[in-house]
Amino acid sequence: MTQPSRRDFLKLLRDGFLWMSGALALGGLIRFLDFEPNPVPKTEFDLGPVEQFPLNSRTLFTDPPSIPIHTESGFSALSLVCTHLGCAVEQSADGFACPCHGSRFNVDGAVTHGPASKHLASLRIERTEENHLILHID
Amino acid sequence: MRPSFFHHLHPPTIPAAQARWRYTLGAGGTAVFLMLVLGLTGILEAFYYSPNPQEAALSVQTITYLVPFGGLVRNLHYWSAQLLILVAGIHLLRVVFTAAYSRPRRFNYLLGLGLFILALLLDFTGYILRWDEGICYPLVTGTNLLKTIPLIGNFIYRIAIGGGEACTTALLRFYIWHIFGLTLLAVILSVWHAFRVRRDGGIAVPPPHLRTDTARISRNELVRREVLAILIVSILLILLASFFPAPIAPAMTGKPVMTENARAPWFFLWVQQMLKWGDPFAFGVLIPLILLAILALVPYIFPQPADSDIGRWFPKSNRVAQIVVIVITLTVIALTLLALVS
Repeated sequence: MTQPSRRDFLKLLRDGFLWMSGALALGGLIRFLDFEPNPVPKTEFDLGPVEQFPLNSRTLFTDPPSIPIHTESGFSALSLVCTHLGCAVEQSADGFACPCHGSRFNVDGAVTHGPASKHLASLRIERTEENHLILHID
Repeated sequence: MRPSFFHHLHPPTIPAAQARWRYTLGAGGTAVFLMLVLGLTGILEAFYYSPNPQEAALSVQTITYLVPFGGLVRNLHYWSAQLLILVAGIHLLRVVFTAAYSRPRRFNYLLGLGLFILALLLDFTGYILRWDEGICYPLVTGTNLLKTIPLIGNFIYRIAIGGGEACTTALLRFYIWHIFGLTLLAVILSVWHAFRVRRDGGIAVPPPHLRTDTARISRNELVRREVLAILIVSILLILLASFFPAPIAPAMTGKPVMTENARAPWFFLWVQQMLKWGDPFAFGVLIPLILLAILALVPYIFPQPADSDIGRWFPKSNRVAQIVVIVITLTVIALTLLALVS
């Protein structure tokens, strides 16, 4: 192998610097774009006073898509966000159906028909001192 | 006659056989014309469009119903965008079926494929900019698909829409991607694509000693044909824009309205159909990417077409590539039809 000439070395140095500057700029651009300017979406929702949810009731909410359920054992809630790709499922004769890709769930949120593979999420409900129900979607 | 600037954009002469309509289908040139219409009408729309979630759908209504000729401008933009996908698809099929992608045009084939992808992304982002009650589910599923990508999914999601919930926050990013980011890339790739056509020796033809037809046409004749194509496409566009207005719907009211059947825009119906079968990453990301990779590898992995076959329809020597691309095309069409009837 012949020794690289001074000219070759300088060329290599120049190309190296150019590529490195480009990579740095690209990295900076990506970091610039990788920022969430929007406020973190709300995770707590006040559903209203407890009296609006009599025993054995299931109340449909569209914002956030959910169904608070009141049974003997207390309050619980089912998320109505499809576990497949995030559309809001709609009530059907035997439970819930997703309008986007046809997943179906029974009234308890269990998958009865794909493509979804996970049950509808259970959401936490909390009762405040003023007897309001607070829904947590995190 | 001294050639005008427009004539100067063309080579002095080109082979007559490969300048025929039945060879080129006029697809590449038509795509350029449609992109010019899109640029012009898009700039006009930008004078009234407001990329603000509260005002976007209203500003679209203003353009459509109040601004003089606004409806025409918007319909022309819409129809040029739909036609561009069809025309670019036809151009891609023509290049494969005439073996025009073979050396030295392999790299330019990839540039063209990149432009096709950009056209799809531009159509999708433009569709989202309507910000009406119909776009939320396609937006949610489309962007949630990004999240399903292992390791880098959430990162790509943030770059694409800026994080948060798609239906409340994605508008500004989609707007900038549509009118600037993707458009800039498309302009650069288009100029590069056209430059490479000239650099690679013009339209694909067999080498001189293998040509059976040595006749050539002048650039005056070529420009004449282009003007004719532009006239025909313009008439078609104006007819479509006059009689089939672009879809418009009431503004999104915070949350998506309940719909019987939430449909993706037509060019992504085939993906939506596959998504009904199961795992979002496999059917919504992996399989489309594999199909794209196969298309990209057409000039590299399949038997090379014979020199004498370049620039002829359906030559024997690239049969494998033809069959593969036909199968992919028919699959996509079949899935689209399936989504339409279900």
